[in-house]
Amino acid sequence: MNRDELQEKIITILEDDFEFANPGLTDNLRDDHGFDSIDAIELLAKIETMLGFQLARAEKEKAMSIRTINDILDYIEAIQAAHPS
Amino acid sequence: MKRRVVITACSAITPIGYKPSDIIDSLLQGRSGVKPLRDDGLLTQHIHSRVFGTVDYPIDYGFTRKDTKTMGPVAFYACQVAKDVLASSGLEQEFITSGRLGVSFSSTHGSPTVQRNIYKTFFSKLPSEFSSIGAVDYLKSMVHTTAVNITRMFGITGRVIASSTACTTSSQSIGFGYEMVKYGMQDAMICGGADEYDTTTVAVFDNLLACSVAYNDRPECTPRPFDIKRDGLVVGEGAGAVLLEEYESAKRRGATILGEVIGFGCNNNGGDLILPNLDGITTTLRLALKDADIGPEDVDFVSAHATATKMGDVIEAQAIDAVYGDKPLVTGLKSYMGHTMGACGAIEMILTLYMMEQGFIAPTLNLETVDERCRMLNHVRKITRAETRIAAIQNFAFGGVNTCLLIANGTNAGA
Repeated sequence: MNRDELQEKIITILEDDFEFANPGLTDNLRDDHGFDSIDAIELLAKIETMLGFQLARAEKEKAMSIRTINDILDYIEAIQAAHPS
Repeated sequence: MKRRVVITACSAITPIGYKPSDIIDSLLQGRSGVKPLRDDGLLTQHIHSRVFGTVDYPIDYGFTRKDTKTMGPVAFYACQVAKDVLASSGLEQEFITSGRLGVSFSSTHGSPTVQRNIYKTFFSKLPSEFSSIGAVDYLKSMVHTTAVNITRMFGITGRVIASSTACTTSSQSIGFGYEMVKYGMQDAMICGGADEYDTTTVAVFDNLLACSVAYNDRPECTPRPFDIKRDGLVVGEGAGAVLLEEYESAKRRGATILGEVIGFGCNNNGGDLILPNLDGITTTLRLALKDADIGPEDVDFVSAHATATKMGDVIEAQAIDAVYGDKPLVTGLKSYMGHTMGACGAIEMILTLYMMEQGFIAPTLNLETVDERCRMLNHVRKITRAETRIAAIQNFAFGGVNTCLLIANGTNAGA
């Protein structure tokens, strides 16, 4: 999945499942969209489903520094690179 | 410090209506909210009782996803009635978030619907790596889910009490909330209880032979508290919330005073966890009178727990007779909607407030021939015009927990 496809999928998830309105790639998820710790855990579960494998605990912990949609995309790309199959 | 505690707002979602006018009309028309048990695709086919006190009308919640992401069905009910009481109370936002307002609210199980989904996932045939439990499932199903979803939705920062004691859940919620305000620990409390549609509870009581089975083809004819042909309880769903406030501050801010909580009695039978206990119940009723510093002759109306089980009604009748004699009017309000479990104490208090305000007492529905062993009471058999100054709401639970709440009507409270 390239970055554009990934971006489209993540924005669809944020709009449909997390009720984001007009999400911008550099918006602060918490301040601009009320995204909280519960949402972060839910999003990780959706990312696991999308990728088709379970994330390791250390990989999940790295997600806690995510602040923007760009950060989400960077995070998923790094995960994909670490799981080449 | 002992302060007067008044009721300044209330709301109930019940099998006989949501709007006060609908509930009052159901009481006046003798309309039952007991309906056929819905098929849940799991337990229903194994349950002998086929009736349920059902909330089958749409409710316009208007909650956002931000609100609902930690809410199972039971929290929807709870937050809706809490929203209603805050809206009608006129309390300032500054007070709501000040720490001086607390929440005393709970349910029997948290959300059984969500718990069931957790077990479905647990036992699913999916590969284990994809069968994770949803992150918020615990928040939706934990036993204090109603109370903390209320605090979350409205930014309430005061004390949280979540007494989960089956059928006395919400009467304890109100009683403990009353004590919080009376003794100065909080200035106001949102109190109540809720329970959602749940066949697990029906199955449990069914296996104990405590559920009604003889009226499956005529749901509106059961339950039948105190009637010779009663054959058990009917499980129901719903929610009720009251706002309790310290009297002087409520009066200062010009709040509408619907009633006053003047006494609360609560104890345990100290033994059997299922069988009703005459000594335990009688003691509770007397504890409430002592707390209110009134005599039994001052009580005009008793809202009996009256689940329509064979022995429960007889023991309760004996307790009422021992404490009050045949003076107060007695009604079993579960006859209209079944046993709403964790919500029943709050709902029965709210229905009593409505009747006090309207100046009538509704009869026990389906009470055609009074059981000889319950005959000593002053049963309400038809709509009765009455000025009720003081009412008792009594509830008893599995686990041997007994409660009695005494309330005075709003006119007296203003005096």
